[in-house]
Amino acid sequence: MPAVLEVEKLVKKYGDFEAVKGISFEVQEGEVFGLLGPNGAGKTQTISMLTGVIAPTAGTARIGGHDIHDEMSTVKKLNGLVPQDLALYPTLSARSNLEFFGRIYGLSGRELKERVADVLRIVALSERADQAVETFSGGMKRRANIAAGLLHQPRLLFLDEPTVGVDPQSRNHIFESVMRLNRERGMSIVYTSHYMEEVELLCNRVAIIDEGRIIAMDTIKNLIALLGGGIIHIGLEHVNETLVRQLSALPGVESAEITAPAVPPPPAGEGDLELAEREPVTAEPVIKLVAKNSQQAIVNVINFLNDENLTLTSLKILEPNLESVFLHLTGKKLRE
Amino acid sequence: MSAWSIAYKDLQILLKDRGSLFQLFMLPLVFILVVAGAFSGMDTNTADTRVPLSVVDLDGGQHAQALIEGIGQAGGVSVKLTNPSEGQAQLEAGEIQRLLTIPADFSSSVDQNISVILRLTNQNDADAQQTEAVKLVVEGAAQDLALEFQILASLQQMGEMMASSPPEFQRAFTVERIQQQARTQFEAAHMQPLVDVQQRVPLAGGEREQEPSFVQTSVPGFTVLFVFLAAQSTARSIHDEKKSGSFRRLLAAPISKASLLVGKTLPSFILALVQFGVIFFVGRVAFGWLGFPPISLGHDAIALILTAVVIAFCASTMGILIASLAHTEAQVGGVSTLLLWGLGIIGGSIIPTFILDRILGPLPRIAPHYWANRALDDLMLRNLPLPDILPELGFLLGFAALFIVIGLWRFDFE
Repeated sequence: MPAVLEVEKLVKKYGDFEAVKGISFEVQEGEVFGLLGPNGAGKTQTISMLTGVIAPTAGTARIGGHDIHDEMSTVKKLNGLVPQDLALYPTLSARSNLEFFGRIYGLSGRELKERVADVLRIVALSERADQAVETFSGGMKRRANIAAGLLHQPRLLFLDEPTVGVDPQSRNHIFESVMRLNRERGMSIVYTSHYMEEVELLCNRVAIIDEGRIIAMDTIKNLIALLGGGIIHIGLEHVNETLVRQLSALPGVESAEITAPAVPPPPAGEGDLELAEREPVTAEPVIKLVAKNSQQAIVNVINFLNDENLTLTSLKILEPNLESVFLHLTGKKLRE
Repeated sequence: MSAWSIAYKDLQILLKDRGSLFQLFMLPLVFILVVAGAFSGMDTNTADTRVPLSVVDLDGGQHAQALIEGIGQAGGVSVKLTNPSEGQAQLEAGEIQRLLTIPADFSSSVDQNISVILRLTNQNDADAQQTEAVKLVVEGAAQDLALEFQILASLQQMGEMMASSPPEFQRAFTVERIQQQARTQFEAAHMQPLVDVQQRVPLAGGEREQEPSFVQTSVPGFTVLFVFLAAQSTARSIHDEKKSGSFRRLLAAPISKASLLVGKTLPSFILALVQFGVIFFVGRVAFGWLGFPPISLGHDAIALILTAVVIAFCASTMGILIASLAHTEAQVGGVSTLLLWGLGIIGGSIIPTFILDRILGPLPRIAPHYWANRALDDLMLRNLPLPDILPELGFLLGFAALFIVIGLWRFDFE
């Protein structure tokens, strides 16, 4: 399958601060590609460079074979952008908003009316089309926001955190719309999120991005396989390298290392946009075990600690998923 | 096309915003009516605001008398005859600011076509602009007198030359008939001069018979003030687009940045023109219903329309300037207040420009409002034609170019 998007060593700097640090990836035609990372990781900056909103400091990208430096006007016609913000005019109706964005992409007359009706159907807003956007619920606004990015039938659609602040019902509706666009219309999609469930549900491949760098990129299955059977954190009063070596040799354990303990962050509200924080380091040391088989590993670890008269002060088991992959790779949580 | 789509969308949004519509269209009319109503009593004030000039006539002849009458008729200067000692004493005591002395040989010198010097003495602290205006009026009256005498003298010489011609020519060109013809031509030239030089006189007392009402004088100033306030709506609209994220969506669309800025500027340009139309229509038609005299729109409709277009253009480019300088909602409000109200006040939108000139010197000239007010004053109050306001329009276009350059230089598209 040909690549619809090829990104090469893309960099964005603001003075001394490097927001995007030379990332490279490809998106295949018809693929749903996820950019997973906490807020502030560089996802939006990357999308902004690829859609012509901001200029890259270095590096380049080709969309549909067209270079973003030399052929941005062509690239813009191939791209569709659904920004993270509700980029709509609240006092205008959904239809007026969509007609405006359609005209901006060169649509007019009958074609414009048909496209507007089409995208309203896709996001299930046909019945509310003539009402002001400011009267919509959060989920309806999100759907209208997506509709505005679909009017010109883009070849590559960038969805930047499209479900922030959305109720579960509307979130499901958005997922269905994304899957239908990809399945029925063959639209290639770059989907950014810091919700791992969304990425797991929608994307064929995922790039995990943190602090402006891609730290892992593969299919979801392969990424989760990095963790084997899961991650186990055990807290002990005293640890040393000998103990770590002994634990790593136990049946069911892949590897072991001394690390900072994983303390759950305080609960955050839905749509919380704060940056994920580094886990605080407590006085008690923690050993992180990567398990081949988590159940077998736990039984053997507990038996070993009993035999050695060591007191277990904490135990935490992380199921193998993208969240634990991110934690495993960065030491940080993808905070919701 | 894209620019027009953006402008159309912004106008749609604005039409739903009653507060902005009130500010743009009703507030200027309310201001004009309130201020005009409060100061309407001033329109009946008959105090003489002409610049006083004491004159000592040492000659007492026919030409000196003609000169004094000429100065008085020029307007703007009020002549008071005095004797040499009294005039000098008043000047020394500071009771008068200026004293014009007509020398004893004035009439005879004019008759003999000999140059003669008029002496204008003024206090050291006398208003320089008023003094300059008085000097110009005196010079003008003296030149008229000299011109008349020179024409008559030359024609008389011609007549004498014709006298030596054959009798059939002498009957056709008598000296009296030629002089009469010259006088007629001279008067005609005065009534309809080929080159009409008009002198701006401080205190604007030159045309008392046609002195405009307070409503009339307040309309151009408030119109300029509120037309420029339309720039705030451009800046606010750009800020709102950036805040909501729709600006990002527009940047990702296949439209140029120039089209984007033109599209954002166009609505305030259109609004400004509509403001002109509404204010002038109400001033011309509806003021009569409220008991105010209808305002004059001047004698040159094309010049007025052109001036409105230039002012509206300058005001709309100021919106880009404000948007480029202000990055938060509070900054938009602050910069707008500072620039639009501040420059409006020092630019003569509330206090007339000729008073500001005297109080602030050249400072008001830094405000585009000043040139806009001068252009409208010249058109609506002084009934001047288009060529006389071209410098003001040039300055306004210069300001617009400056705002565009600074705006593009400072505008943060990211």
